[in-house]
Amino acid sequence: MEELKQKLKVQIIEALNLQDTRPEDIDDNAPLFGEGLGLDSIDSLELMVLLERQYQIKVEDPREGRKILQSVQSMAEFIQSKQQPA
Amino acid sequence: MKGKCYIQGLAAITPQHTFEGDLSQPMVVTRGNMLSCVEPDYRSFIAPNSLRRMTRVLRMGLTASLKCLQDSGIAIPGAIVTGTGKGSLQDTERFIKEIRDYEERALNPTPFIQSTYNAVNGLIALQQKCTRYNNTFVHRGFSFEHALLDSMLLLHEGTSDVLAGAFDEITPEHFFIKGRIGHWKKETVSNDALYEHVSPGTISGEGAVFFLLAPTATAQSYAQIGGLEMLYKPSPEKLKTALPQFLQQHGLQAADIDLVLSGANADSNHAHYYQVLNDCTQCPQLPFKHLSGDYETAGAFALWLAAQMLKQQQIPSQWFPMLQQQPARLRNILIYNHFFGEQHTFMLVQAV
Repeated sequence: MEELKQKLKVQIIEALNLQDTRPEDIDDNAPLFGEGLGLDSIDSLELMVLLERQYQIKVEDPREGRKILQSVQSMAEFIQSKQQPA
Repeated sequence: MKGKCYIQGLAAITPQHTFEGDLSQPMVVTRGNMLSCVEPDYRSFIAPNSLRRMTRVLRMGLTASLKCLQDSGIAIPGAIVTGTGKGSLQDTERFIKEIRDYEERALNPTPFIQSTYNAVNGLIALQQKCTRYNNTFVHRGFSFEHALLDSMLLLHEGTSDVLAGAFDEITPEHFFIKGRIGHWKKETVSNDALYEHVSPGTISGEGAVFFLLAPTATAQSYAQIGGLEMLYKPSPEKLKTALPQFLQQHGLQAADIDLVLSGANADSNHAHYYQVLNDCTQCPQLPFKHLSGDYETAGAFALWLAAQMLKQQQIPSQWFPMLQQQPARLRNILIYNHFFGEQHTFMLVQAV
């Protein structure tokens, strides 16, 4: 899980071109939108694309997306839940 | 055009040091056929959170427009009107590549949004909270000229002021594509030696140039745009009669023109059109494309040059080494430019 969160932070920084942000600056539980990283609605679409491209996970329901993209922690938990064999 | 149109503010990001409006800067010499803009520090104009998403031409366009508004002292213009030949090429290329790479799935929205031609106008409007008239013209070599015409019509109809501008960029990929249809010279030249290489093709360029236009002159006015005429694929005969007619329509004769800024670009395929200037004018002719390179909206750079020269009553000799003698006065500048022989423009720029 720790490894996944670290990887995710690097991918978020790259995908959103967060030039002055380092992975260690992102708190696992800090909100990605609003206060925290200060991302906006276009960023949320980009993060959906990131999940699809990097993890082959498509989020169909936008309401579900809001919960998944709350923080790095919630994103990592969602990815892990999708990757676990049924 | 009945109404008057004065340039009250301007800003340019070009392959020369133009951003600060200082005409004493040395000429930037590029060895190669693709001139790129000298870019300013965008962080003074655009918030980091917005900047991170913008590609180059969006940064250039937005920054030039904001600097122009700053120069004019107007925050919210009565209209925003621009012209662009290609819009954001970087975003267009990225979007198209992603369609291929991801087989039309999982497409990133940002390059798509930003590849639309009116993206720069949208950014200006958002940044300045300007909900007024907003339009972008995409008409190849007439893109800026149509934006200018629209701006002049708006002023004539009573709009208090108009932010008018143009922006275009060149990318290595687009340079390659246009090279295949003969736009660029086969031999590699230096821009300062462009006119020594008269052969098929020219050198490419880019730029973002903005003007704040108003219907009345003030002490801060740079110049007046006295006339504008566009001619699509004119024959040499038509061109030869059109130029004296254009001058006559504005109450001028050839002897009244103090300087001609010409779009001559050492392209032997289309050089013959510039002969009309030799036949119809007697004043010094200065080509400008060794400074900007050629692109659809290069006419905006010529207008920036003319306005600066008229305001400062000076021709920067380090940018125009071909100038033999400074004209005694600068009152009327004629710009004649065409884009690869198709879209031809006369512009009359006058001292205030």
